[in-house]
Amino acid sequence: MRPPRNRLAVAAALVAFLLALALPAFVSGYGIRILNLALISAIAVIGLNFAFGYAGLITLAQAGFVGCGAYLTAILSTTAGLPPLLSIPLAVVGTTAIGAAVGLPMLRLKGHYLALATLGFNVSFVIVATNWKSVMGGTDGISGIPSFAVPGFAFATDHRYYYVLWLALALATGIAWRIRYSHIGLAMIAVRDDEIATGAASVGVTRIKVQAFSLSAAYAGLAGALFAHMTNFVAPDDFALSHSIIYLAMLIIGGEGSILGAIAGAVIVTFMPELMRDLGQAYMIIFGSLMLLILIFLPKGLLSLAAMAARRIGISGR
Amino acid sequence: MSQQLIQLIVSGLAVGAVYALVGLAFIMVNEATGVVNFATGQMVAIGCFLSVTTGIQMGLPLAAAYPLALAGMALFGMVFYAVVFRPLQDRPVVTVIIGTVMIGIVIQNSALITWGSVPFRPRSPFGRQVVDVFGAAISAHALFVIAVSFLMIGLLYAFIYRTTIGARMRAVAQDRDAARLMGIGVDRMFVLTWVIAGLLTGTAGLLVGPMWFADVNMGDPIALKAFAAIIIGGFSSVPGAIVGGILVGLAEMLGAAYVSSAYKDGLVFLVMILFLLVRPQGIFGERIGQRA
Repeated sequence: MRPPRNRLAVAAALVAFLLALALPAFVSGYGIRILNLALISAIAVIGLNFAFGYAGLITLAQAGFVGCGAYLTAILSTTAGLPPLLSIPLAVVGTTAIGAAVGLPMLRLKGHYLALATLGFNVSFVIVATNWKSVMGGTDGISGIPSFAVPGFAFATDHRYYYVLWLALALATGIAWRIRYSHIGLAMIAVRDDEIATGAASVGVTRIKVQAFSLSAAYAGLAGALFAHMTNFVAPDDFALSHSIIYLAMLIIGGEGSILGAIAGAVIVTFMPELMRDLGQAYMIIFGSLMLLILIFLPKGLLSLAAMAARRIGISGR
Repeated sequence: MSQQLIQLIVSGLAVGAVYALVGLAFIMVNEATGVVNFATGQMVAIGCFLSVTTGIQMGLPLAAAYPLALAGMALFGMVFYAVVFRPLQDRPVVTVIIGTVMIGIVIQNSALITWGSVPFRPRSPFGRQVVDVFGAAISAHALFVIAVSFLMIGLLYAFIYRTTIGARMRAVAQDRDAARLMGIGVDRMFVLTWVIAGLLTGTAGLLVGPMWFADVNMGDPIALKAFAAIIIGGFSSVPGAIVGGILVGLAEMLGAAYVSSAYKDGLVFLVMILFLLVRPQGIFGERIGQRA
């Protein structure tokens, strides 16, 4: 049996996506860069939603996987000289493989043990990226990464690249939606809700967990690769543990276990520093406190507010 | 033994003793209250900066500055109990982890605003004094760190295993509801646990200040090593935290000198991940990798 889909949410998402096509016309140079970063983060957070939102795996490694994607495409497109059209998919495949290889042994751990192990992975990634100068460039990173281009057209400006990112996010969202309502998506949620019962129902719990983790890594790899071809430069700082925490914060703010929540959270948290710029140094204090308040009072995220409001005014989405 | 090796071992022991204190703070809180405190590192930083305030900014002699800073940390523990622990108590482990991470961000940035981004160099009670140990010149502060850490650990042991309040705390850690039925003030024990965590991390902060710098970002690297230490030692084991801390400290110092200074931290995390995968119960301790 298929669970009912929320038609209202689908309609709202479609409208939002179509409206977003017109956005670059109204946004200036710096704003479009932030917007692009929001779209990239959204892809990484949709990925995180598989591992954390659906399968319930607490992972603090998402920024590390974003870094894997970014560095893979950086190396492939500079040293190996591949065009981005080829290096991005290769980076995604590579990151997925790394995700599976890391996940296979680690996913036997639970709760905060898994959190600590994945944290160790993220910290180790930054250490390796900082010190493996010959391949990953050390603290200087890798520069001279070509902008995204298809034969005959280069997406060299942020305004042009926005449409590439828009398309990537639309595809990523569509695929995530399909997976969510497939038997794999349902199995992930079953594993989160009751691992023992799910195992007793002949579902391979470990296999589902590794699938969720690898999918999460694949999305992170895509986000990282797209990031590298926007900034034309990668350095270890962009993939530090603190970014993994931000990705998790995005998912929780938006609403864990929801694809639209993941996108909303990524956009809100990316723009938050811009909105609170006047606060200066106090910004992170406000940010941390806000997150804590949301955790305590709105454990289902901001999207649950929208759902509540919709119910209040009597729209039934089902 | 060469002079260098002795120096490395002593400084490894000193750093390891600090990791052991931080690891113990983490374990105490986790055992008694079930909270995985990802803000432990920031508590160390606050302890260090309180000693900066009392010892440098107020100019008190260290004999007054240290107790005052520790009193401040005990108070900090109580505030942490009221503001963070109470609302997060009995929430899913994910909520607690992310909640304490967020509190860590709040603490770290409050420290940044309070003390600024320029690091301080707290003085040691022994200044730059050097002691001769087996023909090697050893900083007196390193020996002081080792002595104070083990004194703290000894006091903690005596408190937990030799006093009635310690017995009550152990009862709460074993079975909260049964302890409550026996008439133990469970909430009071929780407050006490957070105060002890404040004192342990505060001591760690006082001790590391003169070894490194007092920097507002110092918390996370120390906490990460302490995590590694307790995983290597055994997550819920007190001797495990001590042995794990010292192993991590020694590995860090000896690894930096003889293997690779760039990858010394990577080495520690590699060992930690290997332990998680191969021997999740650590050197001591129960089999815990599966416990959520």
